[in-house]
Amino acid sequence: MIKLSSLARVAALWLCLALPASAQRLLVPMDDSQDDHLKAYGVTYNALKEGLTGEWLLNYRGGAFLLPDTPEMRKRAALAGVTFEPLDDGQLGAIRAEIANSNMDAVPLEKAPKIAVYSPPEALPWDDAVTLALKYAGIDYTRIYDDEVERGDLTKYEWLHLHHEDFTGQLNKFYLTYREAPWFIELMQQNLTAAKRLGFASVPALKKDVAEKIRQFVERGGFLFAMCGATETLELAMAGHDVDLASAYIDGTPMDDDADRKMDWKRAFAFRDAHLEHSPFVNSMSDIDGHQVNVPGRRQPLGTFTLFNFSAKFDPVPSMLVQDHRSVVNDFYGVTTSFTRTVLKPGDVILAEEPGAPWVKYIHGDYGKGTWTYYGGHDPEDPQHAIGNAPTDLSLHKNSPGYRLILNNVLFPAAKKKPLKT
Amino acid sequence: MNRNRRGLWAEGRGCRATVVVCALLITLCPLPSALCAQSADTTAFYKALELESAGKYKEAAPLFRTALGTSSAVSALLGLERVYAELGWSDSLIAPLDTLIRHNPHETVYRSVQLRTLQALGREEQLRTAITRWVQDAPGDPSPYREYARLLLQRGLTASADSVIRAARQALGSTNELQLEIAQLRAAMGLWEESAQAWRLALASSAYLEQAAIYALTPTPPATRAAVRQVLLAAPVDVPARRALAGLEMGWGSPADGWLALKDLPADSASAAAWTDFAGRAELEERWPLARDALVAALRWRRTPEATLRAANAAVRAGDPAAALALLPIEGPGSQVADSARAARTTVPLQARALSMMGRPAAAERLVERFDRWFTPGTRTVLTRAVALGWVRSGDMARARASLSSAGTEGDSSDAAGWLALYEGNLRTARVLLRTSTETTPELATALAIVARIHADSAPSLGRAFLMLARNDSAGAATAFTEAADRQAAGDATSILLSTAAQLRSALHDDAQAMALWRRIVEQQASTPEAPSAELEWARALRRHGDATGAVARLEHLILTYPQSALVPQARRELDLARAAIPGAT
Repeated sequence: MIKLSSLARVAALWLCLALPASAQRLLVPMDDSQDDHLKAYGVTYNALKEGLTGEWLLNYRGGAFLLPDTPEMRKRAALAGVTFEPLDDGQLGAIRAEIANSNMDAVPLEKAPKIAVYSPPEALPWDDAVTLALKYAGIDYTRIYDDEVERGDLTKYEWLHLHHEDFTGQLNKFYLTYREAPWFIELMQQNLTAAKRLGFASVPALKKDVAEKIRQFVERGGFLFAMCGATETLELAMAGHDVDLASAYIDGTPMDDDADRKMDWKRAFAFRDAHLEHSPFVNSMSDIDGHQVNVPGRRQPLGTFTLFNFSAKFDPVPSMLVQDHRSVVNDFYGVTTSFTRTVLKPGDVILAEEPGAPWVKYIHGDYGKGTWTYYGGHDPEDPQHAIGNAPTDLSLHKNSPGYRLILNNVLFPAAKKKPLKT
Repeated sequence: MNRNRRGLWAEGRGCRATVVVCALLITLCPLPSALCAQSADTTAFYKALELESAGKYKEAAPLFRTALGTSSAVSALLGLERVYAELGWSDSLIAPLDTLIRHNPHETVYRSVQLRTLQALGREEQLRTAITRWVQDAPGDPSPYREYARLLLQRGLTASADSVIRAARQALGSTNELQLEIAQLRAAMGLWEESAQAWRLALASSAYLEQAAIYALTPTPPATRAAVRQVLLAAPVDVPARRALAGLEMGWGSPADGWLALKDLPADSASAAAWTDFAGRAELEERWPLARDALVAALRWRRTPEATLRAANAAVRAGDPAAALALLPIEGPGSQVADSARAARTTVPLQARALSMMGRPAAAERLVERFDRWFTPGTRTVLTRAVALGWVRSGDMARARASLSSAGTEGDSSDAAGWLALYEGNLRTARVLLRTSTETTPELATALAIVARIHADSAPSLGRAFLMLARNDSAGAATAFTEAADRQAAGDATSILLSTAAQLRSALHDDAQAMALWRRIVEQQASTPEAPSAELEWARALRRHGDATGAVARLEHLILTYPQSALVPQARRELDLARAAIPGAT
């Protein structure tokens, strides 16, 4: 008995020595060892929301997060299935040394941005890749639409997402194909009613005014993230503020024949000198989109796009936006899939492109005191996305590199601003 | 609208002259002269087929070209299309195609191959020109519209395909002959109800499209399925549409609704075929009540011995022995059976099992004895067990044991004897004999798991619980398993006994009692293997009853308490559903 008891004591002592001293930080790796990349963003966002701070280790293990090691944090990560590694001071010191000597940086994360998603009240979260990702990651957002924007509610938020909306007011030209479909008839009626209620003569007039308010939101310092058709049509609505861009089926008057010349591209964020599609029977808005998915004869096949590798220390913002565990990602269609290189403004930062192709996929820039980011395509895990397709179940794509790019955008406004070095 | 039509059909007008010039040049080229004068010689064609089968595409190509001038021209062209595609020479097909079409402008196959080839080569302008020419050459023919719409649909160009259909409606005055393409188009556009309407029309004239309709409509979202059902069920009753709906319901995971689509069909040969096909699928999926109903319905049209036997078998497997005996009535002992050997192979085993299930083991025993000499040893063993189980159900354990003993020492040492030992609470014997079973049923797995966890050699209360289960008294069995668990309070088997009781309660839709049992396992048996699965089931029941908050609490507890459990990934998914974080919850 005495021998056994001694052995147990020795074993206990050995265990105490072998265990690390009480860990102070949790490392959330974002490389291939991470079980659920998408929920890792939610765990980080919610920690910030509750007043904790963290760090984003750019280019370190796929863009890992460093969070305080608290029982609550461990519990949240465990519930979400997010992989984490407790770090002691020695391990953390080694990581910091590696970051200091490589193309990596540690960006402090301080405050979770207040998020608004511009989307019709009746839309389901599954209609939009961003709301799908936010829902899955457990990140709260507020849905706003024309009434709220017109009421001035944009000032309540720091981050705004746009997805489906056709800001030219032509309802994505679905009239061409779906004019007899009950859902389209209902959509058209809802938009007409909203325009009248808010005091506008037509749907295009309302949408252009909403676009103008979004432009002001960015100018004042807001973060804008847009995908799919909203990217292209927002630009057209801003540049064509004083031009009739809409076909007769929606506002009773044909499009201005001289619209191309009258566009004021200085008002736009990202594009210039694009050519508008004048035919109401061609399902395209302009030559901004490189893939033209709905136009036979113009439609381009999908390839892959490559993320740029920025200097983490000198270009932290683009670096944050491209943090991923894959550098090459499968492309995916949307009403607007990509952005033609020839219409990009010189100051645009290209975040991802298809090498050799005349288009890019993912762009970013500053405007006034704010920033905008455009990501072409509709749903990174539904490349051919067609109306009526079953919604994407992100629990089956929890390591999606394409969806990570969306969530990078949600988190990057939380980063503490550093003086730009370039 | 007109602008659009012009866009589709008149683009590439400038190309037409080029095509004509090319066609002229082609006629001057040394193409097979046989193109001009068809011969009946098919030697070249068959030789070409042989070479193609042997993978000698280069050698096959000139022979197929030669055969273009024979009576096998259509088949030869298809062969040439195949070998050129293998060789990457599809552009070489364009010239002979132009010549063939000029000589026979009404041959649809030539035109279809031409369109396919031009599309494969990405020659959009020439493709449009070819379509326009076909429309001009064959006014009133829906084929060019059909082929072009199909090509566009294959490429996912739904808007363009829709324009072609509209152009066809204008040109032909009707789209009756394009219902298949309309159906596919509407499905591709997500217009499920409209697609179902078109499929219904297409199926009315082409019943063979049933599988295509099922394939196209299967992705209909749950919210829209009611509209699709309404279209396919609408009066007048249309057998192909009902068959398609039945197939859809099977695919959507609601086979009972599939049967509802078929059960009211009038009794005729088409309906009987639908019922028999449905029954075949139900049998494959072991949905025996549905298989029984469908086969009984088919017997209304034509009664054959084989169909009757199938229906009786389904009835027995569905736990409906009365229906089986109604289908296969037992003839009295004095009556003559035409072919006793055949009856012993076919009807008698089913009749004996049905009698046993109905609690008439004496009648079953007499029947088995009457045909005993015609049974194979395997059949005899099965029937001995069935009769013994019949005695168990009727509560006469002595007769059950005697019945097994009548089969000799083999009967006494069989797994059936193991079940009898279990019913009597003799766990020591049950442990040994049940392990010898060659069957792997869920009941056996549960019994083995329970007896392995109880260290005592005798447990009459447990025996009673299993006996009630054997007598189809699920509620009584659930109570008995709970009582057995109470008696086993200090033993290893408490949790598994409670878990078995909870499963029975849940199967009886008594979620309140089931949840009480799961709670007891989670709270009082937290370290047992049953605890995580009990908690998962508890959470599911809470969600079924609309208590998402309660379900979330249970799932979180499961994930945090049993992080190493194999159920954690499933629990995380259920957690997402309970929180409406992924589709499926709304």
